[in-house]
Amino acid sequence: MSMANPPVMNIPPVTNIARVKQLVAAATLAVLLAPIALAEPQVTERIQPEKISLGEAAQLTIATSGSGAPDITPPMVAGLEFVAVGQSQRIESINGVTRSSTSITYQVIPRQAGIFTIPGMTPGSPPLVLTVNPGGGGNTAPSGGSAPSSAPNVSAGSRLPSGSTRLAADGSAFVRLRLSKHELYVGEAIPVDIQVGTRDGVVASLNGPPMLNGDAFTLEKLSSQPDRSQEIIDGKPFTVFTWHSALAAVKPGNLSLTMETPLTVRIRRALPPDGGLFGNAGLDDLFNDPAFQNFFGASTEKEITVASTPAEFKVLELPALDRPAEFSGAVGHFTVSSELSDDKAAAGDPVTLRLHVTGTGNFDRVNTRMLHDVDHWKTYAPTAKFKPDDEIGYRGEKTFEQPIIATQPGTQTVPALEFSWFDPTTGHYAQARTSPLTVAITPAAPDTSVASTAAGGANAVTAATNSPTSSPANSATNSAANTPPDALRPDHVDTGRGSDSLRPHYFQPPYLAIPSALLVALFGAWFGVHRREQRARDLESAERRNASLQTEPLLKLMDEASVRGDSELFFRSARTALQRNLASKWLKPPDSVSLEDVDARLGTGSVVARVFKLADEAAYSGLKLSTSDFQRWKQLIIRQISGGETVS
Amino acid sequence: MNQGGINKGVINNRAWLIAMGFAVVGLGLGTGHARAAADQPQSPPVYSAPALYNLGNSYARAGKPAMAVLNYERARVLAPTDPDIQANLRHVRETAGLPAQSGHWLQQHSRLANPDTMYWLGVIGLALAGVSLLLRRLKFKYRGALAAAASLGLLLTALGVWDSAATAAILDESVVMQSSPASASPIAGAEPLFTVPQAEVVSVRDQHGEFALIRDPSGREGWVARANLTPIIPQ
Repeated sequence: MSMANPPVMNIPPVTNIARVKQLVAAATLAVLLAPIALAEPQVTERIQPEKISLGEAAQLTIATSGSGAPDITPPMVAGLEFVAVGQSQRIESINGVTRSSTSITYQVIPRQAGIFTIPGMTPGSPPLVLTVNPGGGGNTAPSGGSAPSSAPNVSAGSRLPSGSTRLAADGSAFVRLRLSKHELYVGEAIPVDIQVGTRDGVVASLNGPPMLNGDAFTLEKLSSQPDRSQEIIDGKPFTVFTWHSALAAVKPGNLSLTMETPLTVRIRRALPPDGGLFGNAGLDDLFNDPAFQNFFGASTEKEITVASTPAEFKVLELPALDRPAEFSGAVGHFTVSSELSDDKAAAGDPVTLRLHVTGTGNFDRVNTRMLHDVDHWKTYAPTAKFKPDDEIGYRGEKTFEQPIIATQPGTQTVPALEFSWFDPTTGHYAQARTSPLTVAITPAAPDTSVASTAAGGANAVTAATNSPTSSPANSATNSAANTPPDALRPDHVDTGRGSDSLRPHYFQPPYLAIPSALLVALFGAWFGVHRREQRARDLESAERRNASLQTEPLLKLMDEASVRGDSELFFRSARTALQRNLASKWLKPPDSVSLEDVDARLGTGSVVARVFKLADEAAYSGLKLSTSDFQRWKQLIIRQISGGETVS
Repeated sequence: MNQGGINKGVINNRAWLIAMGFAVVGLGLGTGHARAAADQPQSPPVYSAPALYNLGNSYARAGKPAMAVLNYERARVLAPTDPDIQANLRHVRETAGLPAQSGHWLQQHSRLANPDTMYWLGVIGLALAGVSLLLRRLKFKYRGALAAAASLGLLLTALGVWDSAATAAILDESVVMQSSPASASPIAGAEPLFTVPQAEVVSVRDQHGEFALIRDPSGREGWVARANLTPIIPQ
């Protein structure tokens, strides 16, 4: 149990205070859990769906609540397989009544069609019925995706022996290698299964496929989708992802191999050093369940890397003794065969010679020059295609195709092809030789010369590779009529314009300076404009503050005039204040701000224009205003000075 | 206060003028260098797409697929959308038994034109966008037209940046001149991991002495003798 716990729990030394806290905690728990002890145990079972097809899976959920819940073991039903998927525990307290419930989920995988009765888990509980229809499912994986994979396309790795399992320090995951052998030769490919097991509810995510540690081995491409299965380790459910691949050593010696994978796990947050209310080590296990922790939000996520147990290898060097001259490095078990695309051809017509290498091993190293320097034949470089028979490229067929052209008419023999490899089972080199092939070569047609074909070698190769399946029946007829056309598109007219460098301007320092300088200029200009605008705003703000300081005494005069009912003094002060205010905005002397300017700039109906007119009227004809009129005008003038309305 | 504002303004104007002056000098130097670089050879230009394409055809007809592929790839750098280059390159690759090129999406579809043309379009776009935005900021007239010009400039700049990103991968690519074993370590006699076929285009990830760490189109990596590789963009 302790292996599965994240190492965040520190058990403090037991002090008197701690003992008191433990007693309080125990008493609290006893009160909380007392109703559980009194509750009747209840077991409910449910299967979903109740009808499935063969190849699909149903889910059986067994929930127990209350105390004294019976030990639940998966039922035994012939034709059905029960795989534990997960377990969760829940404690809830409603209106002072505390209830505990546990839920166990099984995947039910039928092995045959029929109607199955699953007996009840407790005496008296009704049985469950599962109907399994034949067909439809086939090899379809269970909908939950967590049942063991049937691996329809069985790779060599799926029958590998189990490797040793070493859980990560926190018990959350493991990486396991399944290997067929531990003694191999340099370049020999062996199937490997890489298994990553993640504990349900603890591992939040896999952050990448398994990776190889070290440079002594190479790993073929991993299978695209890992198989999924379930496994119980130390009583805890794990989801196991299995990738298939092939492994090869690149140097001899006693070598060690480990694989690792990054993943994110949920770990408990550390409790206070004194243990807090539930800091008792004795209660640790009670709150250890991931579901419990997730329920109370007591977990946090952490990225870790889990490595496999080192796998030890003894890697042997390929023997130099008896190594065939044409050995290309292929290691494995192979068979070879050869064929010609046609058994009749005209001199100068290309024929395709094919060599098939079939078997198991490291196909990257399967290579051959095929024919070269053969009398009466012009040969070209062969091409190769590999067709894997499994998803890891360990088993398959590699086909080499070589265009060859007979230079003389008559019955010509294509010599036998040889291919050699190293057989790791016997520890010796093996060699295979194909049978010689004969082909009837007719004289070349008048417009088809061997010489011209040789000059247009690429075209000849094209013809050979583009018509590998031409039948012997028509090969004789097409030889003369179908002179290989120049499949290349015609030359272009060279205008003579060009560049002294193929390196694009983007990657030449002198040209890089241009956009860089342009950016500097633009940012400089932008900065300059910004600073100029900022300066203008600062200036305007300062002028306003200055004008405000100058208008304060005038506003006081207006107050005094309103108290005395002196409209002439009131409007004269107001006009002076407005003149100073507008002068700072219009950048002209206050005395030069006239009624004409105001009418022209702000309009004849503006507050300022009306104040100017009323000032004249009050000075010459006397103007009587009430107290409320004084207040209203003062508000309008203050608003005007502070930058408010410009038109009444 | 006014005096201070004026001084500050003078300083700002000077800073602005200095920045502009620096930029003008930089632009002049850059274009001068660039022009000098372009005008340096007195002999006829070395690289042109038609010349490289024709050379590739010659090599293809002579049955030298590696040289043909090299010249087609070089022609394709200058004329990435030319259908003839692509067709003949595909044909020679098929002839040499190489699979269809499967570069990443950006590499396959985003080359729009000659990279130098795209470079100049990007520079012009940058200038157009910058000046238009600046004039808008200065509350110049025709704000709508300026916004359109700025958008066009930004689009051209983005196209230039896009094209440079798409072209960047070519800098590390080489053509395998003859079928070569790729080993796990950069030492002579190391056990080969796989064989890189002739005329294949590989990406050079690292170099060590006489060896280069290459990655082939299928993602395999190994050390290959540098003598067997010719970079598409000459060093």
